[in-house]
Amino acid sequence: MNTTVVGSYPKIPDAPAPGRWRTSVEKLQRGEITREDLHRVEDEVTADVLREQADAGVDLLTDGQIRWEDGFTYFARGLEGFEINGLQRYFDTNVYYRQPVAKGEVAWRGPITLADYQFAASHSVRPVKPVVTGPFTLAVLSKDEFYGTRDQFVMALAAALNKELRALAAAGAAVIQVDEPGLLVHRDQLPLFRRAANVLWDGVSATRAMYTYFGHLDGLYPDILDLPVSVIGVDFVAAPRNWEILRRAKFTKVLGAGILDARNTRVESPDDVAAACRQAAEIAPPEMLQIGPSAGLEFLPRRVARRKLEALVSGVRLAKGGAA
Amino acid sequence: MTATATPTPTAVATLLPTTTVGSFPKPPSLLEARRKVARKQMGPAELHALEQRATEEWIRRQEELDIDILVDGEMYRGDMVAFFADQMDGFEIAGLVRSYGNRYYPKPAVVRPVGRRGPLTVDWFRFAQGLTPRPVKGMLTGPYTIAEWSFNEYYPSRRELVMELARAIHDEAADLERAGARYIQIDEPAIHTRPEEDFELAVEAMEVVTRGLNAYTITHVCYGDVPKIYPAMLRLAVNQIDLALKNDDFALLGTFRVPRFTKDIGLGVLDAHSHRAETPEEIVDGIRRTLDVIPARQIYVSPDCGLKTRTIDETMAKLAAMVEGTHLVRRELAA
Repeated sequence: MNTTVVGSYPKIPDAPAPGRWRTSVEKLQRGEITREDLHRVEDEVTADVLREQADAGVDLLTDGQIRWEDGFTYFARGLEGFEINGLQRYFDTNVYYRQPVAKGEVAWRGPITLADYQFAASHSVRPVKPVVTGPFTLAVLSKDEFYGTRDQFVMALAAALNKELRALAAAGAAVIQVDEPGLLVHRDQLPLFRRAANVLWDGVSATRAMYTYFGHLDGLYPDILDLPVSVIGVDFVAAPRNWEILRRAKFTKVLGAGILDARNTRVESPDDVAAACRQAAEIAPPEMLQIGPSAGLEFLPRRVARRKLEALVSGVRLAKGGAA
Repeated sequence: MTATATPTPTAVATLLPTTTVGSFPKPPSLLEARRKVARKQMGPAELHALEQRATEEWIRRQEELDIDILVDGEMYRGDMVAFFADQMDGFEIAGLVRSYGNRYYPKPAVVRPVGRRGPLTVDWFRFAQGLTPRPVKGMLTGPYTIAEWSFNEYYPSRRELVMELARAIHDEAADLERAGARYIQIDEPAIHTRPEEDFELAVEAMEVVTRGLNAYTITHVCYGDVPKIYPAMLRLAVNQIDLALKNDDFALLGTFRVPRFTKDIGLGVLDAHSHRAETPEEIVDGIRRTLDVIPARQIYVSPDCGLKTRTIDETMAKLAAMVEGTHLVRRELAA
């Protein structure tokens, strides 16, 4: 049983300090610094965030997605074929993203996250997993003005992002995470999702993790067990019924158990975490468990995100001790 | 109908009344003053005087533009939820949370039972209404949105929090009405966050907020999937639903054809998040297209959303086009 995070981390320190990143974005907007200057600040903040996660004791880290404005424009800007539209609400959150619009053939023109991964891996004392937004979620949150059918759009994205995953694996990423919360709001489209996943992961030699969050897996489980991944992330906070749904059939993957509420400031006690770990151990054996928050932590103020990770690590330690 | 002196709901007699959604940009001097107050280099009294001056400037600008139903411009607000949470029992500000890009907001956390200590918006309403003979809207944030945009560390369910907040916001609306507000707007931009799970709760909460009011009531909804709450949203206990149409080039009109839109609509004709000023012709076009779907007597003309992220010049140019375009259509309809 080890600990991990799902993705984003707060970019700025606690108020009243505005933080280097936020100040630098304002300076860039006023033309006082260059984009390269901002990138340097993003490097520094990324290194801080990696240290903060490691100090909290988390085993498998992410770079905190400090450079991402959101999970969609970051990839759409890096791919061929997209323009960027106005703001849209991100699922049921109070977070907004600019909507990508496919205007032409979608294609991979070069690595999007590779340099970020390499920077993070070389500035972290713990292993880092790169995170990529999945083709299905990217398609359902974008607007398609080119393909005409979701099927073609999703499959084109899967082929393009396959090259991204291969590049990450070739650079040494031992674990690669792909986020697909979009599946949970289009649960009737598992056949298309599965075909896309087969293309997406084709030839990718790394531990393959697919994360869902914000919802339940009713109607998808146990069917999703035949997806070509070895880790499936499940949000037990937004959807406590996932505890029951996952007991309906033997869970045959590594379970990325999202048990810490990434969207509420109430900090769980180590006892709460340990109890959830024991519950997760009824679904998968301890060596098949990766315990973490329910989603990315950027929904929280920095101080709370850090305290949550500390509670996570203490709770998992407690659960391990209790099991021994 | 009784013979009591309650104001009639529609106090503006003109067809296609013009109004705005609520917020206007703060002048640079006020932004600087707010920063100084945050750094404790300026006292609250001095800030308050600047907020009053900026409010008066916006009242005058709206009169000059010939807008029919005015707002106070929210010069005193940082954020539409924190403004209420700061003054109510039960909340603490948990910290800054990013909404998009470089924009952060102070997100409150409910840590104890919530409730109103006293009036929240009445003094500002009185001040603004005292400056003008034109009606000024009373402006509230709705219970569903306050709950949705706060962390909940206290109540076991969202329902309990929303209904408790609904009772508090109802008391505030009643106080606004007693202070003379003929129009009361209850902003609910988060109302369609969980349409399947929660829309009934949002409807129940709005019933509590507007119960027994004689004022003309409005709710403003923006972003998210409006078709998902149509026609259910026609059950909200308000006279008018104010919506962003321009943002998506009036695509919502397709939704409002069947079944027909039975409430008044606050028709958003200005994109609140673009720098470009629309032309009067664009406004005319938007209203004409709407007239195919919704009768003129049900239409109020407004921007898509609050304009606080625009500059003062951008705001003035957009609103001038809105008023001019609306007047052109009015003349056509009168002819």
